[in-house]
Amino acid sequence: MEDEAFTDISGKPISLDCQSHSSFCREFIISSPKVSMGKVMVYTCSVWLLAYAVFCFTQNTAVLSGAILVTLVGMMLHIHFVKVDHESLLVIGSLGIQVSSSYASGCEITTFIEMSKIKDIVINEAIYMHQIIYYLCVLLKDPSEPDAVSSVVPLFQSSKPRLNCLVKVYKSCQEILSKCQ
Amino acid sequence: MVENSPSPLPERAIYGFVLFLGSQFGFFLYCLWAFVPEDWLHSIGLTYWPQKYWALAMPIYLLVAITVCFILLFGVNMSNTAPLDSVDNITDVYAQGQSTESCRNGGIPRLKDVSISEVNKMFYFSPSM
Repeated sequence: MEDEAFTDISGKPISLDCQSHSSFCREFIISSPKVSMGKVMVYTCSVWLLAYAVFCFTQNTAVLSGAILVTLVGMMLHIHFVKVDHESLLVIGSLGIQVSSSYASGCEITTFIEMSKIKDIVINEAIYMHQIIYYLCVLLKDPSEPDAVSSVVPLFQSSKPRLNCLVKVYKSCQEILSKCQ
Repeated sequence: MVENSPSPLPERAIYGFVLFLGSQFGFFLYCLWAFVPEDWLHSIGLTYWPQKYWALAMPIYLLVAITVCFILLFGVNMSNTAPLDSVDNITDVYAQGQSTESCRNGGIPRLKDVSISEVNKMFYFSPSM
């Protein structure tokens, strides 16, 4: 509902939407900015100008058709597999959590983790490339060994929000998890 | 028991000076081999030496290898960093195997690893931080 100015780790603006469906069910949706027309135009024009320059040297029309094909196929693959539109985290007390990320083409990938496998949801710091970032992750446990962390599922991987956004989501999740785990 | 320390000693000064003289002399010999024409060397009787091509090639190979090693080291470091979904970012064998006995009354608590859940509660729930 509220919309402070959150940014991701590189400074691009993102928006957080917290919805409280009931006292034990909350949903958090983080939306990344949409594909900007200016960027698309710049990429397309540069690729086509380059292809035209190569065509002027080699006089081979296959270069031009190849460039058109590459641009179209590249854009389709990008919006279907790479460009994430929004990622959502749905926490239902004593049932589980659902993590879903939907791409710009409408494709949506969803994962459900049941509550018996969840140890905790924490904010961890780790080295990512050349910097250290905060990220929210779900600690999973093996039902046979309730004290040991068996694996880690990082959340909001494509939007990578900064700490102020993560703290909001963390506090909200912990309210539900502490009540209903 | 002799204590090992990195401080300067007279023996170390002598070793250093011997190495310095040796390396200067080795460089002088290398320059000599590189600049003296092959005929003169053959006339003295020294015939079995590497080709003069290597007088240039060897230093260049060495410098390129050192530069590539710098870049390679950076790449090896980045590929050895644990990914974000690895358990190594949360805990490890030593932290999981530590004993959880409580401390004696009035004593200093034993040094141990605090779990990430507790750290989060301290950081993000207390109003002081």
